Amino acid sequence: MKIIPALIFPLLTVLAVFMIVTSQGVWQMDLVVFGLDNITVGLKATALANFFAVLIAFSLFAVSLVSGKQTPSKGFYFLLYLLTWSLLLIVYSADYLLFFVGWEVMSITTYLLLSYTLSPKALVKYIVFAIASAMSLLAAIMILYSTSHSFLYADAHQAYLALSDTLSVLFVVLMLFAFFVKIGVIGFHYWLVDAYAESDDFFTPYLSAVVSKMAVYALIILLVTVVDISLLPKSWIAYTLALLGLLSSLIAAFKAVNEDSMKRLLAYSSIAQLGYIVTVLSFADGVSGALYHSLMHTLVKLLLFINVAGIIYVTSKSKFSELGGLIYRMPQSFVMLLIGIIVLAGMPPLGGFASKYLIYNTLLENGNLLILSAMMFASAAAFLYIYKLIYGIYLGHPTSQKLESVKEVPVGYLIPQYIIATILVVMGTLPGLVTPYLNTILIELKLKTLPLASSAVLNTETGGYNGLIVMAAFVLIFIVILFVLLSLSSKVREAKDRFDIAYCGEVPNEGTHLHYGFSMGKELGRVGFIGVILQNSSRYFYDFISKQLFAFAGIFRKIYSGNLSMNFNIMALFVLALLWWSLK
Amino acid sequence: MIIFDLMGMLLSAYIVGFIYYGLYRNITARFQRRIGPTVLQSFYDSIKFFSKKESISHGWMFYLGPVIMMTGAIMTLFFIPFFYNSESFSGLSAYGNLFVVLYLMMLGPLGNAMGVGVSGSPFAVMGVTRGLTRMFAMELPFYIAVIALMSLNHSADIATIAANQTTINAFAYPLLFIGVLFSFVAMMGQSPFDVVGAPVEVYSGPAAEFSGKFLALLMSQSAIFSFAKLVLMVNLFLGGAEGFFELLGKTFVLFLFVIAFGSMYGRFKTPQSVDFLVKVPTAIAVVGLILATTGGQ
Repeated sequence: MKIIPALIFPLLTVLAVFMIVTSQGVWQMDLVVFGLDNITVGLKATALANFFAVLIAFSLFAVSLVSGKQTPSKGFYFLLYLLTWSLLLIVYSADYLLFFVGWEVMSITTYLLLSYTLSPKALVKYIVFAIASAMSLLAAIMILYSTSHSFLYADAHQAYLALSDTLSVLFVVLMLFAFFVKIGVIGFHYWLVDAYAESDDFFTPYLSAVVSKMAVYALIILLVTVVDISLLPKSWIAYTLALLGLLSSLIAAFKAVNEDSMKRLLAYSSIAQLGYIVTVLSFADGVSGALYHSLMHTLVKLLLFINVAGIIYVTSKSKFSELGGLIYRMPQSFVMLLIGIIVLAGMPPLGGFASKYLIYNTLLENGNLLILSAMMFASAAAFLYIYKLIYGIYLGHPTSQKLESVKEVPVGYLIPQYIIATILVVMGTLPGLVTPYLNTILIELKLKTLPLASSAVLNTETGGYNGLIVMAAFVLIFIVILFVLLSLSSKVREAKDRFDIAYCGEVPNEGTHLHYGFSMGKELGRVGFIGVILQNSSRYFYDFISKQLFAFAGIFRKIYSGNLSMNFNIMALFVLALLWWSLK
Repeated sequence: MIIFDLMGMLLSAYIVGFIYYGLYRNITARFQRRIGPTVLQSFYDSIKFFSKKESISHGWMFYLGPVIMMTGAIMTLFFIPFFYNSESFSGLSAYGNLFVVLYLMMLGPLGNAMGVGVSGSPFAVMGVTRGLTRMFAMELPFYIAVIALMSLNHSADIATIAANQTTINAFAYPLLFIGVLFSFVAMMGQSPFDVVGAPVEVYSGPAAEFSGKFLALLMSQSAIFSFAKLVLMVNLFLGGAEGFFELLGKTFVLFLFVIAFGSMYGRFKTPQSVDFLVKVPTAIAVVGLILATTGGQ
């Protein structure tokens, strides 16, 4: 069995995280030994860190379970484990220095992992944005360090308060830029869609599930520990977060409908879902909703990307226009995707509703009514791309002969999906199950806790809902109706073949285009405001920036022309200037 | 016993829903100077469809689609209390609030979309896409108004919102109500927002492939779901009801308005209806929300 050795490291990681979670340890170290005075770094197993560490360990485990006949390229798993350890370093670090180290290792290992499959263009996009994000983070950390001479989170709030007005604004802007790039907030998402779409099918679930969550973790640290957003309810920071998150959810939902590639659609869906988190983090109370939604999004994106990876493995097609009609050939995968999209749509009785419920309640309690309306509008608009996802792959008609003979995906793809789907169903039935753990985090962050009830009830200030009753009612009514339908005396005749449909009185055949999948959503462009969204892209902005940079570089190019004597003269002038400056 | 309560809710919704459906056909006919079918004609139709000898299926998902749709409608009904001041006919509303209802209302369209998708008829799927497109547009003014009410009452509980109205919300917040009425006409599938089931442009819309008992299930679903939506509107905007007669009176007034409105206007294309809904009613509702929330202080 090849699968056993592949699982050793993930299991060790799960074990290590379990031990850390149960130990609640603190580890600190002065860097005096290394000649760095006054710098303390440390690791700390806070409840918040544990929460994200559990997500990382679970995701690694789920991704490692995926196994088919294809194995990833050489070195893939080594890099994946390196990435995992860098993520654990990010969440467990107690200071911005180790955090930055983890962040850099994460960016570089992600780059190496992406470099297996990405086109050069997409790879350059990724690395430019990753470096911009890291440099902006470094600059922000240095600004913070300039006043307190400490990297520790514990001193960060004092250090932030000691900053001058301009510097504090600059600090927050730089930090937000760094995290927005990683989250892929709309406008900063230019690298994300290509990277997700072209990355290795084994890696995309991990990329979407946890690597983007690191920025959510960092955002929570920044907003709650460093800036303390609860003191600034109507500040520009809150408005920036709320608006950018909302725009992400709205624009990405419409962009997703227009995509023909499954993974590109899911990438936009990730942007949209993380938009909810960014918006709700504009309130200190929103941390509970943000954490719950992170949990749900991690699980559901693992499920969906693994499902899509299975489809690509079996059919070697990745576009809706080349798929379709797979439901009766791959029934198990279909049911898994159905569970996934119900969670993604945030519908009761499954778990996705619980997190949306918390988010909506936070926005309602804080009186942010227009944002809440627009948020729910974005959530309703998401139905279109969610339906496109399931219809384009499983429903409708097969678009080629080859699809009529495919088989169900291998067990290696199904096992992780079953595990995740079970968790999602349990979370939907017992939405209050994680409330105590969320409360531990909230107490640690000195925030308002959620009212505690039984594990079947998810409570907030304005009232709760009982997941067990909703689930029980759903299942019972469903069974009764199905029973009634089946027990009726009328016979049911199966359609002769897939062409046995109502088709305006004509008889379709092999040559008729019957799959509606790839053009679904195209007609949305005819609606005024959606057309504006679909026709515009952040590409134009970045093209503009790069053109300006080229023009700017052109000036230097005229002087630094490659002519050797000219270069020597410039060098000499430079050295003379340096000498003059140092002797001055 | 809650089970009798639920059965009572379901039965009354089923009967009233079908009578309203019959009345809708009858009254629309009178608007068009026809005599129209008798009031119970739709009920007879559904019984006839239930007892058809044969219906065509496209596999197991084709079964589950209408069943999920029906489940969504009944769940929605159970989570909306009929009367704000009594324990009976409150169903399961103690276990879930307005947010739950808003999302349960979308369960039906999703089930329908699954069933239609698996049937393989491209025209039916076109109808579903139109339906989903219209859905997010029509929800926007509705959400704005509902959120305003939740914020004003500091509660997402439907019975509380219904009971808190000294002057009914329709008169207290007229702009919100006007915005919502447009949404409501669309939610009831009436002109000018009825492009989804449009029999002329699309070959019968989402229901094209359903026959026999499946069609009968869809008809019953539509009757129950319409009544659930009417009760929700009465609770939110017309002061709720204390007894069956008040409930029937208020729902009928609202229903008559929807029919009359629908009979007057021609049909929008899908992009037109989305464009209209996100502009005019939304603007009215936003102004209403701002006036309502700032005026209260």
